[in-house]
Amino acid sequence: MVMKNQNRIRESAGDRGFSAAILVFLILFAILMAVPMVAELAVSLSSKIASQTGSIGLLPVGFTFASWEFMLRNASLWTSFLISVASTALVVVISLLINSMMAYPLSKKRFGPARAVLLLVVFTMIFKAPTIPYFLALRGYGLYNSFWAMVVPQVISAYNLLVMRSFFQSFPQEIEEAAEIDGCGKFRMFFRIVLPSSKAVIATVGLFYGVGAWNQYATPLMMIQDTALFPLQLKIHQLVNAASGDIAAAVKVSTANYTNDTLGAAAVIFSMIPVLILYPFVQKYFAKGAMLGSVKG
Amino acid sequence: MSHQNLKNVELMTWAAPHTIRAEVRSDMQSSRTREEAGRRLVRHFREFWPYYAMILPGLVFLVLIKYVPMAGSVIAFQNFSLRKGIAGSPWAGLEHFRKLLDYDDFHRVFRNTLVLGALKTILIFPVPILLALMLNEVRNALAKKSIQTVITIPHFISWVIVGGLTFDVLGAGGLLNQIRGAVGLETILPMQKSAWFRPVYVFTSIWKESGWGTVVYLAAISGIDPGLYESASIDGASRLQKMFRITFPMILPTAVTLFLINIGSFLDLGFDQVFNLYTPMTYDVADIFDTYVYRSGIQQGKYSFSTAVGLFQSVIGLILVVIFNRLSRKVSEDGGLW
Amino acid sequence: MKTTQRILGTLLALAMLLSGAAFAESAESYPDIEYWFTNEGFLPAEVGGAYYNLTKETIGVGVYMPYVDWNGGQTYREQLALRVAANDTPDIFIYNNGIENSLILDGAALDLTDYLPEYMPHVWNAIPASVWETVRANDPTGQGRIWTIPDVTTFTRHGAYIRTDWLEAVGKEMPTTQEEFVDVLRAFKEKDPNGNGAADEIPAGGRMEARWMDYLFAQYGVAMYEGYPEWDVYDGEITYSAVTPNMKAALGFVASLYKEGLLDPETLLNSSGDWSGKFDSNVVGVYYHIPWVAYQRLQGIYDYTSGAVKAQVANLPQISAEGYEGFITVKPTGNSGKMVSADVAKDEQLMKAAFRVLDCQYNMEYRDLEYGVEGMHHEVVDGKKVKLPEDKATQELLILQTPGCQVENVEVITSRLEAVRTEENSWQIDESIALLNGNQADGRVIASDGMPSTVYEGYEDIQNRTLYVEYVSKIITGEYSLDKFDEFVERWYKNGGQAVTDRVREWYAGKK
Repeated sequence: MVMKNQNRIRESAGDRGFSAAILVFLILFAILMAVPMVAELAVSLSSKIASQTGSIGLLPVGFTFASWEFMLRNASLWTSFLISVASTALVVVISLLINSMMAYPLSKKRFGPARAVLLLVVFTMIFKAPTIPYFLALRGYGLYNSFWAMVVPQVISAYNLLVMRSFFQSFPQEIEEAAEIDGCGKFRMFFRIVLPSSKAVIATVGLFYGVGAWNQYATPLMMIQDTALFPLQLKIHQLVNAASGDIAAAVKVSTANYTNDTLGAAAVIFSMIPVLILYPFVQKYFAKGAMLGSVKG
Repeated sequence: MSHQNLKNVELMTWAAPHTIRAEVRSDMQSSRTREEAGRRLVRHFREFWPYYAMILPGLVFLVLIKYVPMAGSVIAFQNFSLRKGIAGSPWAGLEHFRKLLDYDDFHRVFRNTLVLGALKTILIFPVPILLALMLNEVRNALAKKSIQTVITIPHFISWVIVGGLTFDVLGAGGLLNQIRGAVGLETILPMQKSAWFRPVYVFTSIWKESGWGTVVYLAAISGIDPGLYESASIDGASRLQKMFRITFPMILPTAVTLFLINIGSFLDLGFDQVFNLYTPMTYDVADIFDTYVYRSGIQQGKYSFSTAVGLFQSVIGLILVVIFNRLSRKVSEDGGLW
Repeated sequence: MKTTQRILGTLLALAMLLSGAAFAESAESYPDIEYWFTNEGFLPAEVGGAYYNLTKETIGVGVYMPYVDWNGGQTYREQLALRVAANDTPDIFIYNNGIENSLILDGAALDLTDYLPEYMPHVWNAIPASVWETVRANDPTGQGRIWTIPDVTTFTRHGAYIRTDWLEAVGKEMPTTQEEFVDVLRAFKEKDPNGNGAADEIPAGGRMEARWMDYLFAQYGVAMYEGYPEWDVYDGEITYSAVTPNMKAALGFVASLYKEGLLDPETLLNSSGDWSGKFDSNVVGVYYHIPWVAYQRLQGIYDYTSGAVKAQVANLPQISAEGYEGFITVKPTGNSGKMVSADVAKDEQLMKAAFRVLDCQYNMEYRDLEYGVEGMHHEVVDGKKVKLPEDKATQELLILQTPGCQVENVEVITSRLEAVRTEENSWQIDESIALLNGNQADGRVIASDGMPSTVYEGYEDIQNRTLYVEYVSKIITGEYSLDKFDEFVERWYKNGGQAVTDRVREWYAGKK
């Protein structure tokens, strides 16, 4: 890879060497990260016997689309896909609204109760609800076998809230003070000034909520037993199981050319694709100076 | 607004002492009459009602989704019965906590959890920061974006699969032994050697989550005023100097927040990772609270015991967070989680 | 829009279900039964679906089950617990891993004692009286009632088999003594029986946690079931086999095999798939499993070698080490079975429907239910039902499975093997049937058959044998010397083993 020197100010030889070393290191690191993914792709395209005997490396052995075909011809996979898309989109929108509104006042030192509320938030991060009471509470809210079971429990997380708060804390106070002198109210300040200038943190936290909602498994597993409402991750578990049945006593004929492993590998890649497609768009908001650029503009 | 001004403002946000809140508070405490307090309260609400309104929705969800189910933790002090529910189950006092402390290998589980927690905090936590700092130095936009995307991929692969791959790579016919074989070393089986478990734990943690962990730091870096770098360049600062004098201090607050969050889950290492990496031969260094409670509580339907162990971990997490939060606030008043 | 329709349809079905009484046509029609069974990836059998309709037509009761992941029983048990906690217990459900005891003690199960002879005569008669006696004796409430319908296995289920084509290749006879056995393993290792020119043979082995090599331990009379040490009579007293001198001797033997490289070096790292995969790769000589599903492994070797190797296997006789008596552990009263929710008693029709479903499962008249839905699970060729190959993308779960399959014996298994015989796999089925019949004489019912897991109450680490797997794994790999075994025994007794032993002995005394 050729390094392009885009800086207006000339770089010293030392700087160039430094940059090159970093780039080489990061590329090696990225390869290390990508290798298992390549291996998974190979597994997803390999035959049953190759998978059973563990003879697959970085290239498929006994090349076949059997696993992908099994997965993709399952009509309900796409239903589940849409359910996951819908719930993820809702979670992102609702959670961003709720979280940013909550995180902003909590970043204000002048707002006395902030510390008490923050302590409440931190508490939820450390103490976790036991499974059965959690299930019973959600069921009590009418979320059993409901689409909203994939949305409501996801809309607030202490981690994301605290991250957001820490970003709001570093918002230039001078801008706010100036706006306040101009008679800007607190709502207006937040929605018209602070929020539009916080694209990076909104993108980050939105990404966290989105990925969390997309990958959620435990709560839907508890709450959704109606297959018509299965989100993608539940459906995928069902499909991956399709090759198991090593219940010792099962006497059966199977002509399938896939195993749990090949199906699992295909499923991992399948469920990752939407994220990999969307992520570069989110990265746009991490461009240098994104935050201040909009403040100035 | 000039760059110079902005820089000052930004730096001030972290350095300047803020006393307004403290004043309000001490005023309130020292108010002598009830009326005066009442007046202050009215004034407080008149000024801050929008803040209360903004917090309310989040708070409602927090109570409904987190606090109501959390109240179910009382089953740690019961012998919980599925049919009788929380209202009808008999009380057990501290029996389940006593059982945990009386567990023959309690000290081992506790020590292992502490060691892995420390490794997580000292060796694993800083990696995303370093990666983000490095990524920030990549000038080629395409290279930067590609690397950034590729290193997040492992986050989406479950521990079951990562564990399986780890066993493969370190197995008798795996990559490690192929390399060893090529240089004439005998075959080893690291997954059944206690000495290997901790390095494997650290390595797999970094492999799986450090790339994903850079996201938040990259966002923080994006908030840094480019003017800071420009003026530093004019002053003749090298890349390395800029990295440590500008970028690092600017993302430090985010790092501190994440560090404190991390401390809160010090003993909560995540069941999946260890469960998918350990074997009976490595129990002596790998058995942690999460795996112990899985075997002895969850798998056996011992809800009260599982909850008791969870509470024990949480209380220690809380103590640690309180201590570190205080330390952090001593350094910078803005630096705590609360 | 199809999605919306499906969702609406399901909601409607649920609503109808909830108001089931209002829809009941006549006194004779039974309400539907929610019946939870093992499902590993099949489509759920939902109300109004093909399988539901089949059961409704055939036995008069619609049977359904939502999709519940099995996941080795773990997810199933968690999901079941949630439904019980929400007072929404499925009408009939299978149990395993000891959950039945807490459910019985909690009052979630229906007492079947008085209903069995009258309403479920086929169940009552299909299960041997001796098993019912065991079930009564093991009632966790101590009242001698029947709360469960256990899965019953009246034959020797497990066993080791050996590659006879390999024996031939190395010029050895079938081993009958330990000495001969070790000699054969050595020959397997050294003489390249698979003939590929590489020293890749793994004479024998097993899986993680020292599982699935019971036959090695059994040479010293250690009672063991799929790697779980069992309770049996040693020195006149019922004892945990893991803490007996037999176990120590067996460990010495297994460790020596490991050290010599006669066991897979990765024995203690192998997952289920790893180990069967090695056998499929045509490199393993002796394999311990359920011998009559060997046809799957033979097919594996056949596929792996692209049809070049039609592996020949035969039962490895149960060998006895000198001074010991070897046997295969048999447990007729399974740790799994079926229960009925206590809540069905609130509605007499519902209760009768549940009983009818269970009774029909054991009634050979409804045997054809095992073939499922025509076009989905089977097709009719020349007037005869033929099972279609398994396809979980299109097939609904067969909740009621084979009538009579819950009482397994040599005949039932043989007929099931015959049902999957095709022209291509005929040789494999022949070998499987031969293996099934070949080791029946080696089995012995152990003394703790049907022992309730309540004996472990409060000592979960004894129940899940944590200490055992740790010591045993390290002794086999040579990290611990055999002397460490005594330390294990001491620690085991100290940490609850003694208390559990006392309970087991008390239970055993009461049983006799």
